[in-house]
Amino acid sequence: MSAQSKLLTAVALLIVIGGGMAGYKSSKLGVPFWQGDRVDEWLIEARVSFLATGRDVKARLALPAIAMERGGGQESGSLDYSFSVEDNKGEYTAFWSSGPREEGQALYYRVRFKEGLDSGGEPKPAFKKPNPPDVPRLPGSLGAAATSIVKKAKNVSADPDSLFVNLFKQINSAEASQEYLIVKRHYEKEDSANPGIAMGIDLLGLAGVPARPAYGVRLTDQNSGQAPVPLIEYYDGAFWKVRDPAEPSKIPDGREIFVWHRGGGALLDDVTGGENSRVTFTVAKDRIPLATLTDLRDSPLLVSTILALPVSERAVFRYIVLIPLGAFVVVLMRNIVGIATLGTFMPVLLALALLEIKPMVGILMFSILVAAGLWFRFLLSRMNLLVVPRVAACVVIVTLLMMLMSVVSYQLGIDAGIKITLFPMIIIAWTLERMSLIWEEEGKRNAIVQVGGSVFVAVCAYHFMKVSQIQYWAFYFPEMLLILLAGILLIGRYTGYRLSELIRFKSFANA
Amino acid sequence: MPDLTVIADQKTVTSEHRWWHRWFRTPGELSELGVVGINMRNARFLLPNNPRCLYELVDNKLRTKALAEEQGMKVAETYGVVRNPHDASKVENFLNGNEAFVIKPTRGSGGKGVLVIDGKNGKNFVKPSGAEVTPGDLRNHVTNILAGLFSLGGKRDNALIEYRVLPAALLTALSFQGAPDIRVVTLHGYPVMAMLRASTKESDGRSNLHQGALGIGIDIATGITVRAIHHGKPVTTHPDLGIDLIGVQIPEWDTILHMAVTCQEMTGLGYLGVDIMIDETKGPLMIEVNARPGLAIQMANGIGLMKRLEPVVEQHRCHPSADLHAKITFSQTHFRAKLPPART
Repeated sequence: MSAQSKLLTAVALLIVIGGGMAGYKSSKLGVPFWQGDRVDEWLIEARVSFLATGRDVKARLALPAIAMERGGGQESGSLDYSFSVEDNKGEYTAFWSSGPREEGQALYYRVRFKEGLDSGGEPKPAFKKPNPPDVPRLPGSLGAAATSIVKKAKNVSADPDSLFVNLFKQINSAEASQEYLIVKRHYEKEDSANPGIAMGIDLLGLAGVPARPAYGVRLTDQNSGQAPVPLIEYYDGAFWKVRDPAEPSKIPDGREIFVWHRGGGALLDDVTGGENSRVTFTVAKDRIPLATLTDLRDSPLLVSTILALPVSERAVFRYIVLIPLGAFVVVLMRNIVGIATLGTFMPVLLALALLEIKPMVGILMFSILVAAGLWFRFLLSRMNLLVVPRVAACVVIVTLLMMLMSVVSYQLGIDAGIKITLFPMIIIAWTLERMSLIWEEEGKRNAIVQVGGSVFVAVCAYHFMKVSQIQYWAFYFPEMLLILLAGILLIGRYTGYRLSELIRFKSFANA
Repeated sequence: MPDLTVIADQKTVTSEHRWWHRWFRTPGELSELGVVGINMRNARFLLPNNPRCLYELVDNKLRTKALAEEQGMKVAETYGVVRNPHDASKVENFLNGNEAFVIKPTRGSGGKGVLVIDGKNGKNFVKPSGAEVTPGDLRNHVTNILAGLFSLGGKRDNALIEYRVLPAALLTALSFQGAPDIRVVTLHGYPVMAMLRASTKESDGRSNLHQGALGIGIDIATGITVRAIHHGKPVTTHPDLGIDLIGVQIPEWDTILHMAVTCQEMTGLGYLGVDIMIDETKGPLMIEVNARPGLAIQMANGIGLMKRLEPVVEQHRCHPSADLHAKITFSQTHFRAKLPPART
């Protein structure tokens, strides 16, 4: 078998496997192939983590009733735990138990629902009128201060809703009255986690409005592992209502916040057999309906494993799957177009940084960094240092320059400057090193042409990686990377002219 | 397999000027001219013929020289090799009393890190340009070489101190400072193309074409220069010296071809470029072997490399065990250039 036919067989095989798996996933399993016909669903993953102490483990996590009842879908994931959901008159609790355990444990519970659905914090009629709230016992002057606050707030409020708004406006305000400050200080001593919530509940209780804590999750896929957002649920005489004390006058918006737990009681009951227990939430916008996803997990397709990962781990792959795309652009630019770059894959890393920073700002910062670094590098070259110490010195200088630029741009009010740390520092140090060598050996023109080439390729890679349809394919159809691989193999055997050579040999005249 | 009849039956290439020739040439035109691009060179000639394990023989100049001397080839005499920083501080002990010498990294490429010294002025050394180098500068240069400043990937390196070639007067006349060298490219031991590289004021004593040096094509059959280019454009006279570049007979041409073919035999690399300098008294000296010779040579000769490489591939297939003389004869009969009118 000649090298040529081996290559063609490999390419055909890769395309058939990659395309076949993608086609199967798309047609049989219903994963939308085009991003346009995706289903927008939020996926919230609660992660209960604790340190097992070597005894039998039991853990209970309150579950959102709205998701259980309306049924977007939910599931739990935890190795070797027995799991059940308890339904207590419309209040649901996930219950995990297992034999003796040691070391760190993580239990997952995932809930999905369509975007734009209610937040779960809608007014809910009470089955029976709640008992009048316990009046908190506050000692002496504190009690007097609290009573006076409540009296004043009641005077300017028509109903429990406006009372709630007035109270929390004061609690949140930096310039609260003397009375508020006294009471606040007391609660800060008592309950350091959420003094505002405890204080608000007690003050509402003093005013005769029953209130209790609730917990929500912010619907943003920016930060993974967010802590539960403390909310307050109060009774307005007919309904239980949930509000966010940080924005007291706003009715919770189902597109921004999801109320995970209401109705009183703890979010996470103390875990028996474990310590340091806590709940964190990771939110992701998912594009595959849950029913499909369950099918995917049951199907023998290995490629679906990325979707079987916990959401928090999966987020890492959002960027990793983009790297092959960048590498492909580099191959294209070097072997077909013929653009000289400094370092083969430096442009890919630069492009990844540009995805986070806006490209114009990013390139500007990169240029300043390289120009300043180069100047220092020339100062260093007068000292005749050995190679590795010299590059290390460059790393130090680049670090300091990055800090300086962050501080300066922050002071100037440009917050993109803070993101400068996304530039791969070691890569920049090597860029400086190679650039200064080329500068000395082949002249500044060549050095600038090569750095310019790298930036150009990085911008091309950035524009390619930014196309959301391409991101979608790379993430949901990772087997399509096999097709990309086939393309790279083909380019690897491309023996035609590079575009730059058409220009290089333009004055070729036959002798 | 390339069809020889197609190559023999050379169609008249579109030499007429088209409007786009000012900016580019189409791939069709280039392939009709037989121009070889980088991808083609790598995929069809370098990768199959130059096994990675043989690169060490040519990337390390000490090993190349040792091999060449085994073959009885003339090379620049080695005065000394500086291998560690301790010796670098006593670099003058390695000169063996020679006042003219060249210091170069054993793994350098493209003339990087080469320091040429013509003589002494008191304690200082004098470069060909007249600039002086203090003994301290010299030691620093050697330390930089040892640290790997000039070698690929910054690997540690040795500094080679050797005989300073005094180029033949005929060749120095073609070059603004610097020593002109001759590059012969061979495939399977058949010399396919040759050029002379001469410096200009712009290239500052260096012989890299993209830095403004002249590339002067040499006829394989006779050793007479046929064509010259400066920045890719044909010229007939030296831009600084005004001297005619065409029609110059390179001395000892047969020896040079002999050297080039021997280099292929001793290294085993299928596709390579041999750099040779001609010394006024010692004659042609082999300077280095390059396993990745560039493509500018076809511009200097005005002929696409493919027109030379394909007949060689075919010849090599039919006569895999041809000897050195047969190879030289083949090249000299098949690759004869149209000679310009002889110089008087």
